Amino acid sequence: MNKKEKTFEEILADLEQIISELESGSIDLDRTIDKYSEAMKLAKTCNDKLKNATTKVNKILAENDMLEDFKIDE
Amino acid sequence: MATYLTISEINHYLKSLFDKDQNLNRVYLKGEISNFKSHTRGHLYFTIKDELSRINAVMFMSAAKTLDFVPEDGMNVLLEGRISIYEATGNYQIYVEKMSVDGVGNLYLEFEKLKAKLAEEGLFDPQHKRLLPKYPQRIGIITAQTGAAVKDIISTIKRRYPICETILFPTLVQGEGAKENIVKQLTKAQAYDLDLIICGRGGGSIEDLWAFNEEIVARAIYNSKIPVISAVGHEIDFTIADFVADLRAPTPTGAAEMAVPSIIEVKQMINQYQLQITKLISNNIKQRKQAVNNLSSKQILKNPLMMYEVKEQKLDNLIDQLNKRISYQLQNTKALLKSKISILQVLNPLKILAKGYSIIESQEQIINSTKQLKIDDMLNIKLYQGQIKAQVKELTNNE
Repeated sequence: MNKKEKTFEEILADLEQIISELESGSIDLDRTIDKYSEAMKLAKTCNDKLKNATTKVNKILAENDMLEDFKIDE
Repeated sequence: MATYLTISEINHYLKSLFDKDQNLNRVYLKGEISNFKSHTRGHLYFTIKDELSRINAVMFMSAAKTLDFVPEDGMNVLLEGRISIYEATGNYQIYVEKMSVDGVGNLYLEFEKLKAKLAEEGLFDPQHKRLLPKYPQRIGIITAQTGAAVKDIISTIKRRYPICETILFPTLVQGEGAKENIVKQLTKAQAYDLDLIICGRGGGSIEDLWAFNEEIVARAIYNSKIPVISAVGHEIDFTIADFVADLRAPTPTGAAEMAVPSIIEVKQMINQYQLQITKLISNNIKQRKQAVNNLSSKQILKNPLMMYEVKEQKLDNLIDQLNKRISYQLQNTKALLKSKISILQVLNPLKILAKGYSIIESQEQIINSTKQLKIDDMLNIKLYQGQIKAQVKELTNNE
């Protein structure tokens, strides 16, 4: 899988899709278990993304069109 | 030796100069109202200005209650009053005694004209509103580098969703060059792979907010490929930028709240999803189990012979019905036969013969008239018992 990594939003959308499929009860039993493990994997990925993401530094576009760190004085 | 005055003394002195001046005791001014505030006690405070200059104004309740209109920012008015100094602050101001409307405020007129024009062009149409991303990764902020707005926006984003990156595109937000600056930064921002732009400033007078009522700013927002949240002034301030933006926020803080989700809520939501999935799966399996149970508990699977019992009984019923039907038919036929026989018995000629009648035949014909016969014809007479051969001797026609 050399595809571009999915965004948080896309993973969440996949997860929501599986939930609505499970809710509709339209999936047969064998695939239900597959979907279950897939959904749990997605949920874990979401959680990991949230846990591991560090607080991003604020940037400012300086006069010279370079991005510099920007601190707001609280 | 210099004499040092207290502030009160100098203000008092200046006030006395103002009050002595006949020209200042009765002045007539025309200008535009801004920074209008109606105090709860009924006094009105505002600024009266033209393009270059301004002066503070106060209208006390006794004078204010004679007004036949509700003053508001942007209104052009005619004033009559006196100019004096408020000693506590050293500010001079006009004490308004009479005020009347002088046409519609120019800025408001411009605002309404531009609003109507852009609405006509469809810049505010809902179908042009872009959908905001739910989980933005990078947000551009176009506002002044200093001041409350940028602080409010960035700190709110960091508090709610710290994993989001912010890039500030600093701009003038009021005064000369502000509109061009905003447009320049909006255009630049397009190149920074942003999910969302927040464009705005904190509160101020209608003049302070005016850059966000400029046509070029409106068009730049409209042309942005990135969704734009406008956040100009306070809740009550509406600007052209608000109408053209994809979403209007009441304040800069509000814009940040609308821009990003709360990371705590997102985490809760995902946990909720995990619980929901597990529950769905276990329900799903439970339901299937129940379905299997329901099927296997059917009588027919428990006692397959029952299927035969039912059929046998049905067969018996059919046989019974058949028997009944046949015997009924038989009886009917018997009865019919009996009645036919009795009719036959009545009609049996032998019965008549028994009474003494006889049948005369000649040449295989039954004779019932002398016309059928000639003298000497041979007759065969059938009696009840036996037959007689005879010959015709005489024929009498008894007609």
